[in-house]
Amino acid sequence: MIDAPSIGTPTATKRRSRLLRKLLRQPLGIAALTLLLVLIVAVTFGPQFVPHSPTRANALNILQPPSAVHWLGTDELGRDVFARILAGGRVSMAVGLFSMLVGLTLGLTIGGLAGYFGGRVEALLMRLVDAFMAIPTFFLILVIVTSFGNHPITIIVTVGIGFWAQMARVAHAEFKRFRRHEFVEASKALGGTHARVMVRHILPQVMPQATVLATLGVGWAILTEAALSYLGLGIQPPLASWGNMLQNAQGYLWRAPVLAVWPGLFIAVTVLAFNLLGNSLRDVLDPRS
Amino acid sequence: MIEYIARRLVQGAVVLFLVSLLTFFLINLAPGGPSSLIDFTTTTAELEARLKRFGLDRPVHERYVTWLTGALRGDLGTSINQGLPVSRLLAQRIQPTLVLGLTSLALAAVFGVALGLIAALQRDRWPDHLVSTISTLGMSVPNFWLGIVVIIVFAVNLGWLPATGSASIGRGFDLGDRVRHLVLPASVLAFSLMPNIVRVTRAAVLEMLASDFVRTARAKGLREFTVMVKHTMRNALVPVVAMLGLIATVLFSGSVVIESVFGWAGIGRLAIEAANGRDYPVILGVTLLAGAIVVLLNLIVDLLYAVIDPRIRHD
Repeated sequence: MIDAPSIGTPTATKRRSRLLRKLLRQPLGIAALTLLLVLIVAVTFGPQFVPHSPTRANALNILQPPSAVHWLGTDELGRDVFARILAGGRVSMAVGLFSMLVGLTLGLTIGGLAGYFGGRVEALLMRLVDAFMAIPTFFLILVIVTSFGNHPITIIVTVGIGFWAQMARVAHAEFKRFRRHEFVEASKALGGTHARVMVRHILPQVMPQATVLATLGVGWAILTEAALSYLGLGIQPPLASWGNMLQNAQGYLWRAPVLAVWPGLFIAVTVLAFNLLGNSLRDVLDPRS
Repeated sequence: MIEYIARRLVQGAVVLFLVSLLTFFLINLAPGGPSSLIDFTTTTAELEARLKRFGLDRPVHERYVTWLTGALRGDLGTSINQGLPVSRLLAQRIQPTLVLGLTSLALAAVFGVALGLIAALQRDRWPDHLVSTISTLGMSVPNFWLGIVVIIVFAVNLGWLPATGSASIGRGFDLGDRVRHLVLPASVLAFSLMPNIVRVTRAAVLEMLASDFVRTARAKGLREFTVMVKHTMRNALVPVVAMLGLIATVLFSGSVVIESVFGWAGIGRLAIEAANGRDYPVILGVTLLAGAIVVLLNLIVDLLYAVIDPRIRHD
């Protein structure tokens, strides 16, 4: 074989269907995936079908218990909690997914370059990774949010930056491992450019591990955004996010403790689902562990 | 060995230097930047005086050099909002954080190692699944929410433990009172630290149990207890200790959140106050301190590691 099998060849298709069968034997993973799909559909399309606005206050209707009209009751400003959970979920889920994409891209690029080229590039880039790993993530995020403000896009980039270093370490190790492999030498001998070798030949080898890390990363990103918003440094009101709903609820622990239960429960279940899915994927994709 | 120590010291210093460079320039080059000390009522003269007082009228690289030489002598500048030296604020706030952090670390280590060991010995049986469920929960449940829930249950409803603070106000030092204040925040923080320790312990014990020397120890008829304690656990603990640096970063991140939930006046809380009040010198100081502690811990761990395992020195 001169060239490595790449995506689209018959062997790759066969390998993928085998992976699918293995994944189907992971009941927890399937349950988590189903739950996540339901949640994503619910937060994407749900708000159109809920008769209440997530932001309209109603002073005559504050802190209502759950009822047929307000499924999860109303909050301290009379807003419908269910509508806010859906709207907040849309924000939290989007921040989680996009942050992970930012971290994944940065980590794969920088870690990949360091591992592939080695030498001085590697020394410089990996010291940078070390520096990022040495700053406790939350402090780093605080530094960025303090300086650059808390626009939702900034939050996404910031949380992604909190995650990239870990991804870079994995990408670095894998690119370094594969750069001397025969299929890489072969592709180079055939005139493949560095970019082609990295993207077409090494990247597919790294993807299984990256997928696992990315899945766990989404859960982590949702937790981090929630913590930031809870501390008042993330998504700002009136835009709802599960984190800032909890911040509001903490002021009413004595009068309406149930307000603090819903957003936290949704965060916990969503993150749990991402973690379970990540663990199942690890069992399926990564035979070494 | 000396060469190895020297090399690691230099690497640690480089990382710390990069940390300082990174945080300083992130803060100072941001569009808002420290120049946002202005509000609508500030006159030009006031603004100039203020900029001068904090040295902000000079170019950024000059300020960095000044700040860094100060930092090397232990002078981290002055807090904009509190008017106190940053180093003094850090000194005041580090002690509560250490008390909370070390207590949680101890709890997490004891329970984490115990659960990891049980999971490994009962591999693929129900105790293993139970432990893995507990640690997946620890990874997934937001610790600030868990904090709120335990406050609702144990402080609001049952009234067993205080909800916030590290001591009752207006009382002298009272150990029982301190411990009662510590129980909830330390347990919640420990719960979120534990999963890492469980996972590494389980993997390490499994690896040791499959190793040749454990089989040999069993084959020569040593008692199971001796095999477990002297041969398996002693070796399995090495990777657990090795991730102390990683745990320290998780611990710091967790303390930011937990200190805010429980009104605990440590450096995590200080960081949040500084972030909300845009108190740049304090944010810089806190981040540098945390980075220094993490780098130092990693260094100590690496050196211990090299003492235990000579192969590493020649890597």
